[in-house]
Amino acid sequence: MAEPLLAIKDLKTYFISKDMEVRAVDGIDINVNERQIVCIVGESGCGKSMTSLSIMRLVPQPRGKIVGGEVKFAGRDLLKLTEKQMTDVRGNDISMIFQEPMTALNPVLTIGEQITEVLLRHRNLTKREAMAKAVEMLQFVGVPRAAEIVHEYPHQLSGGLRQRVMIAMAMVCEPKLLIADEPTTALDVTIQAQVLELMKKMRNDFNTAIILITHDLGVVADMADHVVVMYAGQVVESVNADDLFAAPLHPYTKALMESIPSLEEEKETLYSIPGTVPDAAAYPVGCRFADRCPIKQPSCYESMPLLREVKPGHLVRCDLV
Amino acid sequence: MGTYITRRLLGMIPMLFFITVAVFLMMHAAPGNAFNSIMNPAIKDPQALIASLEAQNFLNKPLWWQYFHWIGLFVTGNWGFSFAQHAPVIDLVGPAIQNTLILSVMAEIITLAIGIPLGVLQSRKPYSGFDYTTSVVSFILFSVPYFIFAILLIYLFAIHLRIFPAQGAVGTGPNAGSLLDHIYHALLPALSISLVSLAFYSRNTRGSMLEVSRKDYVRTAYAKGLMEGKVFSKHVLRNALIPLITFFGLDIGNLVGGAVILEGLFSYQGMGLLTISAVNNRDYNVIMATTIIFAVAVLLGNLLADILYAVVDPRIRYN
Ligand SMILES: Nc1ncnc2c1ncn2[C@@H]1O[C@H](COP(=O)(O)OP(=O)(O)OP(=O)(O)O)[C@@H](O)[C@H]1O
Ligand SMILES: [Mg+2]
Repeated sequence: MAEPLLAIKDLKTYFISKDMEVRAVDGIDINVNERQIVCIVGESGCGKSMTSLSIMRLVPQPRGKIVGGEVKFAGRDLLKLTEKQMTDVRGNDISMIFQEPMTALNPVLTIGEQITEVLLRHRNLTKREAMAKAVEMLQFVGVPRAAEIVHEYPHQLSGGLRQRVMIAMAMVCEPKLLIADEPTTALDVTIQAQVLELMKKMRNDFNTAIILITHDLGVVADMADHVVVMYAGQVVESVNADDLFAAPLHPYTKALMESIPSLEEEKETLYSIPGTVPDAAAYPVGCRFADRCPIKQPSCYESMPLLREVKPGHLVRCDLV
Repeated sequence: MGTYITRRLLGMIPMLFFITVAVFLMMHAAPGNAFNSIMNPAIKDPQALIASLEAQNFLNKPLWWQYFHWIGLFVTGNWGFSFAQHAPVIDLVGPAIQNTLILSVMAEIITLAIGIPLGVLQSRKPYSGFDYTTSVVSFILFSVPYFIFAILLIYLFAIHLRIFPAQGAVGTGPNAGSLLDHIYHALLPALSISLVSLAFYSRNTRGSMLEVSRKDYVRTAYAKGLMEGKVFSKHVLRNALIPLITFFGLDIGNLVGGAVILEGLFSYQGMGLLTISAVNNRDYNVIMATTIIFAVAVLLGNLLADILYAVVDPRIRYN
């Protein structure tokens, strides 16, 4: 099998302060192949955003630290690059888009300035050439009046348009990997579908692999080739999308699936997983899901289950399956 | 924008009217007038002379009549005569404005040129040794009133080291009155005003920079591959300066207040000194002229700040 484009091994990102250590990402393994769309799902606080910021080496300073592991991208360990080398990767080989397109764009710079900035940083272009390329990219992502919009400011655009601008900005250097951290959460449903469609188009036309972070399993079903389920800073299940929806194995994944409202059944109340996620500053020694698990055994509290390949290509962190 | 500015300028007229009425009334409510102090033994009947001077200058007319008489002349450019200095008010105000302008512009330049870069440097390495020491110094500077600095600076540079003049706005000798001579004389009073406000600016710049560095769009800028220096100069600094414009607008008022106190201390012949002596001598026409000039300066300062807002922040538009 070919080398994956991105291979994350045992990545650990902690927030370290005098009296505590928050283990936001606690030994993650994720592989992303070329052209693959990998969805990362999991409850709020499980470490999805910190995983993606760790890949970019943009963990919030000064307390956030990548304390261990490896992030191999196209053969190089990103964690070993100098900061200068890393800036050459960002925006060029790997791009990122964020949840809030309103706050992710600079309010005092025009759309054109913000897009050309990436090109001027990574490509040997004149300002005029960069501007032409920016307009072209905006047209490509379906922004109407692109030639005028480059002279406008973010506040003059709707939320959906802003997210398109973000995508144009992220894709303008045709990166090999796009990381999208809940790109549609802030948008209303019809716009959501359009933005997701656009991301698929990006994958198809630019051969860009995508890491899509979401907690919407509907989005996962629509988009994912491969799914990584995270819980409390760890991967608990990792498998291709079809197998996941056909037969989820980890009790947490099953619980997540049950919490999706289904149209046929019209359930009165939304199922939600009882109990709470353990505190990231004080994880137990055993399985982190044990307290909330419907099939737990006393042995679950004794040692941490390993991420095992229970079927070919299907990894699960549970000793009971 | 043009119509907005015109509207704001027109809006100043009623404000100036109220300000001048208030000052006019207060001025006349204070006991005495410019002629009461005539005490020349050669004059046989001072009372008769005072009465005739008062009549000549309409001081025995009703107050409302005097006000409208004054304003009628004022708007036509006739600012009257200084009773105390025996010169047309225009001739006194001209050089005084020039001196105060030099002092204020210098103070503002020192403040901005040191305060903002200092705050930026502090914010680049927050909680470092440099940040702590400069912050402590800022707090000390900020909590000391500026006449204390004035006295310290006069003592150190004028009396002890003898490298700067302690008094006056211009010197004597061949270069007297040149721009350099003006700057040389304005330096100590300008520094006295600046030390307080540059401490204020550096604190606020630092806070504003730190706040903006946490914004999502700064993370976006890093995610594009921009170098740290570029992120700070292009994305953080521009946004961080926006809230400082409010202070810049208020500075003109502060400089006016500073001028009144510091020009007195440094015997610096500016608007502040002119106002103080006019008030002491009940020199009505001078008081009214300086009042209007100060009021216009403060109002223009506010207008300038509002215009600057629209220039740097595209979200603000006046229509
Ligand atoms: N600046 C910070 N300082 C300390 N802890 C932090 C900081 N940012 C995040 N964390 C912690 O790191 C953990 C993972 O956060 P992360 O933002 O990756 O969660 P997430 O999975 O993206 O959640 P969400 O779905 O809400 O976006 C959380 O427990 C959070 O409390
Ligand atoms: Mg998140």
